[in-house]
Amino acid sequence: MGEVILTMKGIDKSFPGVHALDHVDLEVRRGEVHALMGENGAGKSTLMKVLTGIYTKDSGTITFEGKEVEFHNTREAQEAGIVIVHQELNMLGHLTVAQNIFIGREFKKGIAIDDKKMNEEAAKLFRRLNIDIDPTETMSNLTVGKQQMCEIAKAISHEAKVIVFDEPSAALTEAEIDELFKIIRDLREQQLGIIYISHRMDEIKVITDRVTVMRDGTYVGTLITSQCTKNDIINMMVGRVIYEDPKTKSMVPEGAPVVLRVENLNAGKMVQNVSFQLHKGEILGFSGLMGAGRTETARAIFGADPKQSGDIYVNGEKVVINSPEDAVKHGIGYLSEDRKRFGIVVQKTIAENTTLATLKEFLNGIFINKKKENQVAQQYVDSLATKTPGVDQLVVNLSGGNQQKVVIAKWLARNSDILIFDEPTRGIDVGAKNEIYKLMNRLASEGKAIIMISSEMTEILRMSDRIVVMCEGKITGELDIAEATQEKIMNLATREIS
Amino acid sequence: MEALKRNPLVKKIGLNRILLVCVLIVMYIGFAITSPTFLSYSRILSAMNYVYFLGFLSLGVTFVIATGGIDFSIGPVMFCCALISGYCLTSYGVPMVPAMIISVFVGFLFGCFNGYLVAYWDIPPFIVSMASMNIAKGTASVFTKTQSVSWPQSSSAEGWYRNLIKIGNIPVGLFIFLAFAILCAVILNKTKIGRYILCLGSNTEAVRLSGVNVKRWKMAAYVICGTLVGIAAIFYVAAYTTVQPGYGDQYNNEAIAGCVMGGTSMAGGLASISGTVIGVFIIALLQEGILALGLNKNYQLIITGIIVIAAVYFDVLGRRRKN
Repeated sequence: MGEVILTMKGIDKSFPGVHALDHVDLEVRRGEVHALMGENGAGKSTLMKVLTGIYTKDSGTITFEGKEVEFHNTREAQEAGIVIVHQELNMLGHLTVAQNIFIGREFKKGIAIDDKKMNEEAAKLFRRLNIDIDPTETMSNLTVGKQQMCEIAKAISHEAKVIVFDEPSAALTEAEIDELFKIIRDLREQQLGIIYISHRMDEIKVITDRVTVMRDGTYVGTLITSQCTKNDIINMMVGRVIYEDPKTKSMVPEGAPVVLRVENLNAGKMVQNVSFQLHKGEILGFSGLMGAGRTETARAIFGADPKQSGDIYVNGEKVVINSPEDAVKHGIGYLSEDRKRFGIVVQKTIAENTTLATLKEFLNGIFINKKKENQVAQQYVDSLATKTPGVDQLVVNLSGGNQQKVVIAKWLARNSDILIFDEPTRGIDVGAKNEIYKLMNRLASEGKAIIMISSEMTEILRMSDRIVVMCEGKITGELDIAEATQEKIMNLATREIS
Repeated sequence: MEALKRNPLVKKIGLNRILLVCVLIVMYIGFAITSPTFLSYSRILSAMNYVYFLGFLSLGVTFVIATGGIDFSIGPVMFCCALISGYCLTSYGVPMVPAMIISVFVGFLFGCFNGYLVAYWDIPPFIVSMASMNIAKGTASVFTKTQSVSWPQSSSAEGWYRNLIKIGNIPVGLFIFLAFAILCAVILNKTKIGRYILCLGSNTEAVRLSGVNVKRWKMAAYVICGTLVGIAAIFYVAAYTTVQPGYGDQYNNEAIAGCVMGGTSMAGGLASISGTVIGVFIIALLQEGILALGLNKNYQLIITGIIVIAAVYFDVLGRRRKN
C-alpha cells in the first residue's frame, strides 16, 4: 500500500426523515483494495454518491491527492479521476462496445465520429486489462459479465486514480468473478486506489487489504483484512440489532394446503418452464443472482407482464391472470423491488395509498368515505408501527422502511392471501429491516402465503421455510431450509445450463 | 412571507390561489385605469362571455392534464360541436334542445376517440390530440360544406338559449359555470374516478400494479373533457352566435394556460379546480383587456403564448425545488 490518495472525513448527510450519514470517515491508499461493508441501508451507496458528486454533503471534507475537493456532478469527479462502476449496468444495448466506452467524448474526424479510432483505443484498453472482447461487438450480445468488464474498461479510460466497485459480483458467475479479481489485482499493481463494496464475506477476505464497516449511517471502524476474522466483521456490521432467529426448520404445519401452483410458466427469455408450489403459511424464498429471472417470474404470475404459456392454480382452481387486476381479484399482492416506481404514489397521502387496491370498499354511493379511509389507514399505521405524524402525510416524506409498510398495508387492506415480496428490505435501514422480518413471520403464522425474492443470502436463510433457486430463467433447484446452506444455494444459482 | 405560508387559513385556500386572485384584482384595476369603460357593469357582463366557454374548456382539460396527458384538440372540437349541431338546427330543422344534445354528444365522441387511442393503444396524447384537432376541423367543414353557421338571434323563436348566459342583467352563465366547477371539484376530489385519475397521473405503474384498470380511468378523463367541450360549444354560440369552420386553435392555449396557471401540474397527479376557475378569469380578462387597450388579436396570441410558457416553467421550477 502506498500513500493516502483519498480521505473522507466527518461526512454528514440527511434526507427528510432519515439521517443517512452521520460523520462517516473513509481513507483509501494508492495500491489498495479497500472494502466498504455494511448491511443494506447502512449508507455505503450514499457515501459513494457523496464522493462522486451525485449528492451534496451537509458537512465534512473530502481530500483527494492532498487537495480538498467538492464535486458537483459525476462528470467533475470523473475528470478528477474518481469513477464508479455501478451495480446496475449503464450501457446502451444497441451501440457497440467501443461506442459505449467513449460515449459523451467520442473521437471526431471533422464533424463526423471517428469509429475506427474509438475501436483502436478500446482494443488498447482491453489489452491493458487482458480482456478478450471485440470492440465492434454490439453491447446487448455480451453476457452480463462481459458487460461489466466493459464498464471497468470505461472507468479506466477516464484515467481513473480511484475506482469504486459497487457490488460488482452480484450478477457474475464464479468464472467471471475470478476474471474480475484478476483485473482488480492488476489495477492494484498499477497503484490505483480501489473501493470495493460487497456483501460477500468470502470475497472480502480474498481480494481486499483493509475493510471499513458502516452501520446505520455511522462509521464503525476500519480493520486490516488479513488480521481479522469473518466474525469480527459481522459483529461490527450487525452491532446492536438483534435479528429474528434464523430458521432451522420449516415452520409450515404438516399438510398445509397448496394455495398457489404454477406449472410450466413461460414468459420471454427470463422465465422458462417455471413450476412450483406455495403452501398456506409458508415463506418461499426465491434465490439467485441478479438477472436470474426471479422478478420476471413474479411479474408474469401477477399479470404485470405478458406470458406465453403456463397454468396458474389458486387454491386448486385454475385461474386466468392477464393483468394485475385479475391477480388482485384472486388474492395475490405484489410488493415490487422498486417501491418508488411500482409501489407507491409518492405525491399522495398514506391513507390514499393504503386504499389504492380496495377503494371500492370505501365508497358511499359515488363518494369516497374519507373518514372510514382514514380510520382504516390509521389501523394499519398502528399495527405495522409506521412512523408518521398522521395518515394525511404525503408518502414522499417517509423513509424507505415506512414506505414499504404503506405498500404492505395496501395489500393487507385488500386481504390478499398470497403476497409476493420482491426484495422487501432493499434500501431500508437496519432497524426497519428487522421489523419487516417480524411482520413477514407474523403474516405467515396467520396463514398468509409469501413468496420472498431476495438477493441477500442471509435474508434467504433467515426467513425462508423452503428455497427455490433460479438461474438464467430456469428453476435449478429446491431446498428445504433444514438442508440449505450458502454453498448449496450458490452452486444452484451459478449452475451453467446446457 | 414564511409566516404567511404557515397561516392556517392561507394553507387551506392555498398561497398560489390567493396570489392569483391578487393578480386578477391588480389586472382589473390596471385595465380600469387605462380604459374606464371596464368599470361599467354591461362591459363586465360582455367580458364574462369569454369566461363561460373558456371555463368549460379549461375544466375539461384539467382532467386530462391531471392524468399527465394533454389535449390540443379542445378548441377545434368545440367549434366542430357548435358547427355540426348548429347546422342540424338551421339546415335540417332539428329543434333547439336536441341540437344542444348533439353538441354535447359530438364532444363526448371526440373524448371517447382521444381517450381510447391514448389509453388502449398507447399513442402519445400529444399526437392523438393533434390528429383529432385536424379531424375535428375537417369533419366540421365537410358537414357544413365550409360555410359558417349562425345560431338564432335572441329575438327569434328559438333564441331562448341565449338566456343561458344572461337574463336581463343577471349573469346566469356565471352561476351555471360555477355550478359545473363545483361538480368537477367534487368529482376530482371526492369520487373514485377522480382519485384514480390523480393517482395514475402521479404514478401509472404503481396504480396498475395495485390491480386497478388504469386504461379505463385514463380514458374516462378524456371523455369527461370531451363532454365539457361539447357544453362549452353551447356557451360559445350563446355568446357569439356565429361559428366559422377551420378555427378554434387559439382556445387550446388559452384553456391550458388557465388550467396550468391555477396550479395543475403538467406532469400530472396534481390538479386544482378552484385554481383553474381563477386562471380562466385571468385569461379572459387579459383577452378583453388587450382589445380594450387598442391592440389587435395578434397580441392576444403572443401574450397567451408567453403565459403558457411562464406558467409551465413555474410548475417545473416548483417540482425541481421539491426534489
